[in-house]
Amino acid sequence: MGKLEAKNVEKFFQHDGKPLKTLGGVNLTVNDGEFVCIVGPSGCGKSTFLRILAGLEKPDGGEIMLDGKKVNDTGPERIMVFQEGALFPWLTVRDNVEYGLKISGIPEKERNEISNRYLDMMQLTQFANSYTYQLSTGMKQRVAIARALVMDPDVLLMDEPFAALDSQTRDLLLVEMQLIWKKTQKTIIFVTHNVPEAAVLGSRVAVFSARPSIVKKIIDVDYKRPRVAEDENLGVYEKEILSSLRHQGPK
Amino acid sequence: MKANLFGKKILFYIAIIIVWQVIDSADIWPDNIFPSPIEVGEDLIYGISDGSLFYGIGTSMWRLILGLAIAIGGGMILGIFMARVETVNQTIGSLVLGLQSIPSVAWVPLAILWFGLTDAGIIFVTAIGAIFAVTINVYTGVKNIDPSYIEAARNMGAKGSQLITTVLIPAAFPYMITGFKQGWAFAWRGVIGAELLFSFLGLGFLLNVGRQLNDVSQVIAMMLVIMGIGILIDGFVFKRIEDKVMSRWGLR
Repeated sequence: MGKLEAKNVEKFFQHDGKPLKTLGGVNLTVNDGEFVCIVGPSGCGKSTFLRILAGLEKPDGGEIMLDGKKVNDTGPERIMVFQEGALFPWLTVRDNVEYGLKISGIPEKERNEISNRYLDMMQLTQFANSYTYQLSTGMKQRVAIARALVMDPDVLLMDEPFAALDSQTRDLLLVEMQLIWKKTQKTIIFVTHNVPEAAVLGSRVAVFSARPSIVKKIIDVDYKRPRVAEDENLGVYEKEILSSLRHQGPK
Repeated sequence: MKANLFGKKILFYIAIIIVWQVIDSADIWPDNIFPSPIEVGEDLIYGISDGSLFYGIGTSMWRLILGLAIAIGGGMILGIFMARVETVNQTIGSLVLGLQSIPSVAWVPLAILWFGLTDAGIIFVTAIGAIFAVTINVYTGVKNIDPSYIEAARNMGAKGSQLITTVLIPAAFPYMITGFKQGWAFAWRGVIGAELLFSFLGLGFLLNVGRQLNDVSQVIAMMLVIMGIGILIDGFVFKRIEDKVMSRWGLR
């Protein structure tokens, strides 16, 4: 299961010694198996919100519920894919992918079986023994996704994972991400600043307002999958997202 | 390229020995003040043939290794705690900086009073001379870890000692190597200095014996041995580990 609810989540940051309200009471419900994208103006706290969902930061107000239970800390049922991958350079690709399994004490043979499956899924098998400095940015993000998937989380939290990729690699991963989602049926919350990316990936797209941010609008992207970025029919949704992004209140 | 560089070095050292020999032949100073390279060489050969040199090297080396091991172990624990626990940093951290400024030989009187003229005293001086350099580098290394490594590990369930062994230590390892290298340099100075003052076996002791016997060539021979061991350990042990770590971590 993986129904994630954010109720009135607030977060303050210190700015010039004064508290600055970044999240102004965010409400968002993401159903089990849903793919939700979050877009918002830069500095609106969408990444912070994702980190709160992961348990990496504590909210100053409100709460996060997973399947009706309050969450306070990080947990293996909510795994984050970081913007820069956050892969461990001292480990091989395989050891990176197996890290979480090793931590939870799963024996090597079993670990290998699981990692083989995901290395194969992410087309990384031939790089299993490489170190991360030998990989391209796109490859690194594949490893990061594989590392998250082996944990078999209920919810996958993705923080602009494709921001640093060239457009070709990104287009490829956008399609793959949809296939992975279909295959694994995970709940995915995906933060991005790229509107076409949000339209391609999200079943729903939550638009954050400027600080102190709230969920300003939720747009249903009701369109067949797998979608590709150049599909003109997605333009309607992109326009809708863009216009609600544009109509921001004064900061 | 590499052979060329090696050749340059060899030529340089041959040139030094020739200049040295020429100065000696000019008879500016008497031989008991300025010995010829041949006399120093003879002294080394004598030390090798009667085994006293190897015994001295062996004694200094095991003291060094034990002292350095203590410094590395203790320095890692201290450095990690300082980096991860703010209170430890605010309290012990300032003390470490102060202690780091004490030269290792300045610990000798205390070591003699506490441990007497024993191996333990020399090892104490060696370890204490090196531990704070290790601590400071480990601290810097852990402080500079990309926070997303720690967050990713925590997110995947790593806690406490698991987090330390699987992320903090490997992630900070490039800095730690620098710390170990500095630690070794301090430990080597510490062990020789302590042996000199304790006058209790080892290369430092042999150096002091040379002085007591007014045997300049032995003094210089021992200094050359101390330098030679330094070059070997720096070049073969630490350089290799460093190169490997740097390339593996993608820093080079």
